[in-house]
Amino acid sequence: MDQVFEGQMVRVIPPHQARVEVTYRRAHGELPDAVTFDASDEEIRGWLTEAIRTGGIPGIAADPTVNLNDYVVDRFAPVPGVREHNLIQTRPKTEFGRCLITLVNSRTV
Amino acid sequence: MFDYFSKFENGLSTTRSMAKQVTVVGVGALGSHFVQFMRSEDVRFKLIDHDRVESKNTLAQFHGKPSLGKFKTQALQSTMNMLFAVKMEPIANKLTSDNVTQLLSGADLIVDCLDNAEARRLIQQYVRAGYGTPCLHGAVDAEGSFGRVVWDEVFTIDSGSASDTPTCEGGENLPFIASVAAFMARSAQTFLRTNVRMGYQISPGGVVITR
Repeated sequence: MDQVFEGQMVRVIPPHQARVEVTYRRAHGELPDAVTFDASDEEIRGWLTEAIRTGGIPGIAADPTVNLNDYVVDRFAPVPGVREHNLIQTRPKTEFGRCLITLVNSRTV
Repeated sequence: MFDYFSKFENGLSTTRSMAKQVTVVGVGALGSHFVQFMRSEDVRFKLIDHDRVESKNTLAQFHGKPSLGKFKTQALQSTMNMLFAVKMEPIANKLTSDNVTQLLSGADLIVDCLDNAEARRLIQQYVRAGYGTPCLHGAVDAEGSFGRVVWDEVFTIDSGSASDTPTCEGGENLPFIASVAAFMARSAQTFLRTNVRMGYQISPGGVVITR
């Protein structure tokens, strides 16, 4: 739903819906339409996969080989005064290094 | 600057001060930049990392050519002392389940700048085992395109590795890594001054405030 605010078209996201962003191969974009905030991770990855495959996300080049199975779905509620809508971010994993520590034993510290 | 570590015995400070202790685990890509961005804060730094500076590290980490071969903790200590007269306590040890309590005790703030899930779990287990130490996690993805700055109470460690190839070694990643480290420093600074915990997600699309 778009509304005019201070002369500009502004996208208004209802409380039960969320904006969906994705970072893919160093590019970033968002689904043109909001989705329900409680959609499953699998649904979100599926919608984004289809959108990237067909070039449906502005800012991200179409990629017929896209595979987001290993991507993480983060969900953020509104932050008053900062962001008034729900946000879903889909991103690559942020652990990439080999384990460089020695797990001496398994006891809980 | 502050001369809190004017005396050391066996690597341990023999002086006490009212300044808060910030313990940084991992002083590679994120950690080295985090420390230099925090250089003007009234804190005592403890640096934990067992790794040594390699030539490739100088492309995107706050380690210089004169530090090649040195422990990263000691290299960063020397650099910060030489450039800014900031002193810190270097610990060139691996963080293990046997020494985690000893190494992290006394911290007023723990800053996790590691790159792998296994080591993060040690820190998270320590923090959540009842010690209650505030803990800020920083993380970037393998491509250097997504960064997270997250406080422990809402931090989920990504399961499994996206890649088995350590990155952040190429100079092209330097601006992004430094950006993530800057937001880590901003979050730590805000916490130390106001007790407010800010989180950020950094991507090519910009910065999202998460809480």
